[in-house]
Amino acid sequence: MEVKDAVIVDNLVKIFRIRYRSHLKARAMALLKPAPPIQEFTALNGITFNIPHGQTVAVIGRNGSGKSTLLCLLAKVYRKTSGVIELNGLRGGEARVAPLLDLSAGFHPELTGEDNILFYGAVLGYSPQEMRQKFDSIVEFAELGDKVQTTLRNWNEGARLRLGFSIAAHTDPDILLVDEVLAVGDEAFQAKCYRFIRELQTQGKTILFVTHDLRTVERVAQRVIWLKNGVICMDGEVSEVLQAYRLYSAEQNL
Amino acid sequence: MKEELAELWRYRQLLKMLVARELKVRYKNSFLGFFWSIIPPLMQVAVFSFLYRGVLGLPAKNLSAYLLTGIIPWSFFSSCILDASQSIVVNYTMIRKIYLPREAIPLAIVISNTVHFILGWVVYFAAFLVVAHFFNVGIPLVPSMVFFPFLVILEVILVTGISLYVAALNVFYEDVKFLLSTIFGLAIFILPVLYPADQIYYTSHLVRNHKWIFELYMLNPIASIIDAFRHCLLQSISPSNFNAKLKHAHALPFNPYVFTCSTVITLLIFWGGLTYFNKRKWQFVERP
Repeated sequence: MEVKDAVIVDNLVKIFRIRYRSHLKARAMALLKPAPPIQEFTALNGITFNIPHGQTVAVIGRNGSGKSTLLCLLAKVYRKTSGVIELNGLRGGEARVAPLLDLSAGFHPELTGEDNILFYGAVLGYSPQEMRQKFDSIVEFAELGDKVQTTLRNWNEGARLRLGFSIAAHTDPDILLVDEVLAVGDEAFQAKCYRFIRELQTQGKTILFVTHDLRTVERVAQRVIWLKNGVICMDGEVSEVLQAYRLYSAEQNL
Repeated sequence: MKEELAELWRYRQLLKMLVARELKVRYKNSFLGFFWSIIPPLMQVAVFSFLYRGVLGLPAKNLSAYLLTGIIPWSFFSSCILDASQSIVVNYTMIRKIYLPREAIPLAIVISNTVHFILGWVVYFAAFLVVAHFFNVGIPLVPSMVFFPFLVILEVILVTGISLYVAALNVFYEDVKFLLSTIFGLAIFILPVLYPADQIYYTSHLVRNHKWIFELYMLNPIASIIDAFRHCLLQSISPSNFNAKLKHAHALPFNPYVFTCSTVITLLIFWGGLTYFNKRKWQFVERP
């Protein structure tokens, strides 16, 4: 049986409608004037790429080039305007996706670390039993110790982010979507994150990450997609794309 | 619609966790904990009994059961809808970053409030069917009580519909919050919460001569459900208990036709809330 690529994106388009919050006063004034045309913003304008299983791809580009929009679309947070998105698991069927768009988004400050682990697990589609099995290893990886029994309210930001990364990384995803969050915690923890990502790579997981840190790209990625104004400007070998991108950035600075 | 239900079923574990989270977090930092779901209605009963008997000098006897059959459904209705109206906005950061079926958030609010609602009824039955009998003030078992579970379900359906609607609407117009708290603060006096619905019928000659005005009033689903709870759990009480001038007035019998019509309205509201939420749910993350 032919295995489908992990990520299939075909002619993906995302158009945002720019809305303004309307107050009564603004509405009343607007009645006197002709209605302004609906403003639209095309964040992604026909993106096409495939990622085979086991590949680590970095998405780079300037602010507002559509990187985060792309990740949000893959994570099903946004609804696409048109085009195709397919996420396939290694063993066929729909892929298990671990979205790391914001590491502490699913947490509730009034719950303990333990409850939050179970809750975040449920958000990612795992039962409490499954999370219990991974519990010790999650806590150990996040370097939490007994703190996991206290409410998150009193934790520092670093501890929350470590827990978020640890949970998402332990859920055995087929595809990992990472948005600028690898700069988590102190240097020692970062090194650990990279080791973990290496491990995921050897396990054949597919990783798609967005970053501005080109050194991270060199260290981790096998392929780079460069987005510019909602279209793919370049897609290929790490060194090749980075060279072109660095040249472009330098030009922009002149 | 089928798709949405399948998706919710797939995420049932998450729904369970959301409900557990609501229940856990609500009274977490309070000393009395769960008691806070039954203390407010009891205090309301005490204050309104004092108001009726002490201040207004009404002969109202055994008032607490009549008050509670209004206050328990009313507080579920009002507090659940208020909670739900805030639910999407409160969880906004999560919705923007993680996928989950959006319906799960207001539904979790409805379910956790339903738990408190049922708890309220458990306390009610425990108090009036068991404890109060030792003091000879209990309420007798009546055959119409078999309809009680049906009424609970009907109210949950009504509250779910309105909750979905206001949760979605509040994302775009936060006026909803202010509007609801204003309406709920006043509606308790106009709806048959603190007195039986008959009192509305007997307010003026106009209503008495044009019965349809009263029937129109009873089409309001929440008024009709509260009235049905009273008819189902308690024997009719003479209107003179709440208005000394109505010495010879008779309590009105339960009107099944109007109740059926208001049930249809409830189902329409449920369907409307579901449809509106569905239409709007992808715009939440792109709100202005």
